[in-house]
Amino acid sequence: MSTATSAGAASSGASAASRSARIEAMAFVGLIALLSIAVLIATTTIREPPGSTNTLGARVVPYAVGGLMLVSALAVLVGQLRGRFGHAEEGEDIDLEHGTSWGSTGIVVLSFLSLMLTIPHLGWPLGVTILFTGASLALGAKRWWVAVLIGLALGVVTQVVFGTLLGLSLPATGTLTSWIGL
Amino acid sequence: MDTWTLLLEGFATALQPIYLLWALLGVLLGTAVGVLPGIGPAMTVALLLPITYSLEPTAAFIVFAGIYYGGMYGGSTTSILLNTPGESASIVTALEGNRMARAGRGAAALATAAIGSFIAGTIATVLLTLLAPVVARFAVSLGPADYFALMVIAFLTVGALLGDSAWRGMVSLSIGLFIGLIGVDTLTGQARFTLGIPQLGDGIDVVLVAVGLFALGEALYVGSRLRNGEIPIIPITRGWRTWMRRSDWARSWKPWLRGAGIGFPIGSIPAGGADVATFLSYATERSLAKPEYRKQFGKGAIEGVAGPESANNAAAAGVLVPLLTLGIPTTATAAIILSAFQSYGIQPGPRLFDTQPALVWALIASLYIGNTLLLVLNLPLVGMWVKLLQIPRPYLYAGILVFAGLGAYAANFTVFDIGVLLVLGVLGFFMRRLGFPIAPLVVGAILGPMAEEQLRKAMQIGQGDPAYLVQSPFAIVAYIAMALIIVLALWLKRRRARFEAALPAADTTAIAAIDEEIESHEPHPQPDRGRLSTTALPKVDRDPDRRADDARD
Repeated sequence: MSTATSAGAASSGASAASRSARIEAMAFVGLIALLSIAVLIATTTIREPPGSTNTLGARVVPYAVGGLMLVSALAVLVGQLRGRFGHAEEGEDIDLEHGTSWGSTGIVVLSFLSLMLTIPHLGWPLGVTILFTGASLALGAKRWWVAVLIGLALGVVTQVVFGTLLGLSLPATGTLTSWIGL
Repeated sequence: MDTWTLLLEGFATALQPIYLLWALLGVLLGTAVGVLPGIGPAMTVALLLPITYSLEPTAAFIVFAGIYYGGMYGGSTTSILLNTPGESASIVTALEGNRMARAGRGAAALATAAIGSFIAGTIATVLLTLLAPVVARFAVSLGPADYFALMVIAFLTVGALLGDSAWRGMVSLSIGLFIGLIGVDTLTGQARFTLGIPQLGDGIDVVLVAVGLFALGEALYVGSRLRNGEIPIIPITRGWRTWMRRSDWARSWKPWLRGAGIGFPIGSIPAGGADVATFLSYATERSLAKPEYRKQFGKGAIEGVAGPESANNAAAAGVLVPLLTLGIPTTATAAIILSAFQSYGIQPGPRLFDTQPALVWALIASLYIGNTLLLVLNLPLVGMWVKLLQIPRPYLYAGILVFAGLGAYAANFTVFDIGVLLVLGVLGFFMRRLGFPIAPLVVGAILGPMAEEQLRKAMQIGQGDPAYLVQSPFAIVAYIAMALIIVLALWLKRRRARFEAALPAADTTAIAAIDEEIESHEPHPQPDRGRLSTTALPKVDRDPDRRADDARD
């Protein structure tokens, strides 16, 4: 009985981890291992002031953290070589049966990144409008003008609530929109 | 007695109209985001951290207390009513509650969850009130080595017990500790891992870590595999007065109390959070149930909702004991609340009860108030919460992105932080895809710098001798307890995984039939299911021959 269930679990785990998912998992853990080595090397360059009164210098904990990262990444790597892959997180809105839509994820990332330019140049409300429109259309919103209107409303409401009422200094306009004159 | 005077003073503060309004806002926000799929309490508190920049501390913590408790209530509504294909709900409560709902008993499941949460939450808050000052008084005598021991326990239990495997948790924890190291070292003034970028000199703001991993990472992850089409919501009966039958009350009240008894102690020790408490409560209820009811487990047993739900809420209150008295977070949400305290320059710990009595007791009083508000609001308002489940997902997740951007930008008002947030969000995205738990990273990033400080202090007192770390009796006891907790919890986790793998699928008619059969044996049978808002559910025929046929299937 127990062997049957464990075999079933193993086979379903193997089918869940497709070839591309296995490559991705190996690459991610490999990168973490590389990061840990970089941490260990960078730690040697942290300056310890000579004659410091501290019994424990600035390097000790970074060495320990880098070591922990290296050991645990290697342990996961070995586990994956033996076929033990992690399971993608589940959730109510998550469809694990179908593949990942990289295109829409990329657009969402770009929409978010656009804030770095839009906040200083267009101001907060317009930046939010662009982010919201881009992200919701990428995620499957049907009508673009609804997305624009909701985005604009959200931008103005957050500007009023957080900028005016709660006193956060959100820029209402940016360098390109200063002519609006608010 | 002193405790009660202080608590009354806390109530005097928290009952002021303006604070009551903040509490109301907190519980409404908390429930709303708890109901929304994909948003947990950790993400909510993370997204709302910006309000700490402009609100006074008492109001801010009253809002956070409301969100903290409200998120628990809202979460159970979602798992009971959302009929997602596949077995996405891995928490046992969701399983029993969802099956009750599919048999037309969703209202009873919601009611027993809400009332149980209220009762257990209140009991646990009373225990918190009694216990916290005692622990704080004891904790004053702890030295840096003892604190370091407690933090190591928090790291290792959170790291080892969450996620697919202990090593994955350790990877996540070490990344978090590394993020905590970035910046100028406070003791020696040396820059560590800043890559010469001046903005990294102050370190990476914990707001960015929390918002990036929970809000942005989650939104990217859900967005990458968003479920297409409508998700069916299970209809519930109208009129909340008829929600629970007499037999439901009789079967629920003991699990409520037992759930509180199981949840609070487990919440207050670092043992992997509420998941352990809910599973323990579920297992207890199943073994204590009468044979007649036991066969209903896995097919919509009300005890399986009542017990775990109250254990969940009691554990949430228990988590506040180490957070307030020792300054040690044992869950991701607690870690984010800790960072909110720090953004006000307040350090939770044993001295918090002496230095900030007004704030602490107002916070505890607002827990009682929030709990009561939740009970009053939630049962009648369930129709409104269900409407929230119908928000189109593209707009929902785009909205989360907007608030993530707000949180990141408002931390320091530089767009550089937007870039940092995106890096962390992409990290969280891949960690979710590949089965790495997020909570250890957040706990590591927030608690790591504090642990390093305590370690260095301890080494200074011990004059560089590492043996000093394990000299005090408290530290020795703590390390032994940690080893026991980890072994025990890993065993429990394995049992739970095996249990969940072995769960059979149950079809709706069989669930409804077994419920009808049990109800017909009751001394006061109330087989009325109430009027459904739709009639999409298969009805069980009252004809005895037909029912026997159904049962045989």
